Amino acid sequence: MSSDTELARFDLVERLVHWSTAIMMLTLIVTGAILYLPSLALRVGHRGLVENIHVITGLSLLGPLVLGVAGPWRKRLIKDLRRFDRWGASDFDWFRGPARRSGLPRDKFNGGQKIEAAFLGAVMVAALVTGVIMRFAPSSWITWATGATLVHDALFFAIVAAVIAHVAFALSRPDQLVSMFNGRIPRSWAKLHAGAWLSEVEVSKGEVSEADLAGPPGGSSP
Amino acid sequence: MAEESEQSSGRPDPGTKPVHMGRRTVLGILGLAGIGIAVGAKVDNALGSVSSAVSNAIGVPLPGDDQFRFYTVTGSYPVIPADTYELTVEGMVREPLRLRLADLLSMKRTTLVHRFQCVTGWYVPNVHWQGVLLSDVLEHAGVAPEATALRFFSADGEYTESLTLAQAQRPDILVADKMLGANVTADHGGPVRLYVAPMYGYKSIKWLNRIEVTNQVVNGYWEDNGYPANAWIGGSSSVSVVP
Repeated sequence: MSSDTELARFDLVERLVHWSTAIMMLTLIVTGAILYLPSLALRVGHRGLVENIHVITGLSLLGPLVLGVAGPWRKRLIKDLRRFDRWGASDFDWFRGPARRSGLPRDKFNGGQKIEAAFLGAVMVAALVTGVIMRFAPSSWITWATGATLVHDALFFAIVAAVIAHVAFALSRPDQLVSMFNGRIPRSWAKLHAGAWLSEVEVSKGEVSEADLAGPPGGSSP
Repeated sequence: MAEESEQSSGRPDPGTKPVHMGRRTVLGILGLAGIGIAVGAKVDNALGSVSSAVSNAIGVPLPGDDQFRFYTVTGSYPVIPADTYELTVEGMVREPLRLRLADLLSMKRTTLVHRFQCVTGWYVPNVHWQGVLLSDVLEHAGVAPEATALRFFSADGEYTESLTLAQAQRPDILVADKMLGANVTADHGGPVRLYVAPMYGYKSIKWLNRIEVTNQVVNGYWEDNGYPANAWIGGSSSVSVVP
């Protein structure tokens, strides 16, 4: 391979979706903390303004992701979302910890990253639904609003924990952190941590198109 | 079993027999959230004392606790010494009033024990409230026959509220100077706040310092932010909290 020192890991669409969602999540966590924690609520005040920022940001939260999958630029994003969904033996194996893993070649994302992606996706939707009930439900729905508040408050802790874990993992894995900025990752990283993905990439670099892979074995080949 | 669901994505994934764990995780969490919305009010009720105890111990509000959340709509909040406090009642009245805390304490006192219910869903059960009925204050001032509405103003300069005069006659609306068994603290809107038991919490204006009797309902701060002026808890005015 000529250009095998770095591999394309995230395209521009994926990075834009990631960072715009990240900025919104951070805004939601900060404004949410101000609304929720009494000491901050009293120190910062301006409740109407903070609430409006929180609500408008929350309503927009899924916007980047929806835009990302809505056009012809979606291919790579969709492909990676599918990876989050589809788990193989190496993904389950990852949870046994570094010392006890069997060394199966892994996908582009490991089991921990896959569970986190699914978890964050789900809690984003759950927070959106409960938030809409809290803010916009008619006043006769107060029982549901109480339930929604309970869930929304619990999600605050879950989301803060998940985001802290996400950032901590990212900071301790510079190769992967950098790849979310410039889209590229060293081939050596892939060889060590994402062997299955590396083979996949190299198969397609070897001029074998995806259509050929999907087609019947022994079909037409250039 | 090993290869059966390879077809959907079309990409070979060496060493992978795909299990849709991502989808399962998402659906599982959304299912839990749905159950939480449906039965949350009951859970909240049951959790109350335990959650409150833990919350008190660690100093962080917890889901389902029976604690007040603190709202202020300005950058800070007024801290008014009890001995300089004054409530003005003016507008369409026979006799404008300037009531000091001592005046309120010498008037006919009313006690209510009732929940504080926020429109977003949280509530504090069995709060002890004490003060003077709003209707008694109005009677003192002598409302003009053509008056129909009230405007309430807060010492923070920003927060305002409204009630119709008919609503204000209810026996469960207090000009409160005591809550939770003590003087109303500054963070709760003291020395004097309104407590509108049959309506959501935002109607219970904090740091109340002026009541204007008028003939037109004017939206208050939260109404301007999209919340209804007739903020009956549960949507109905029929439930009185006074036995």
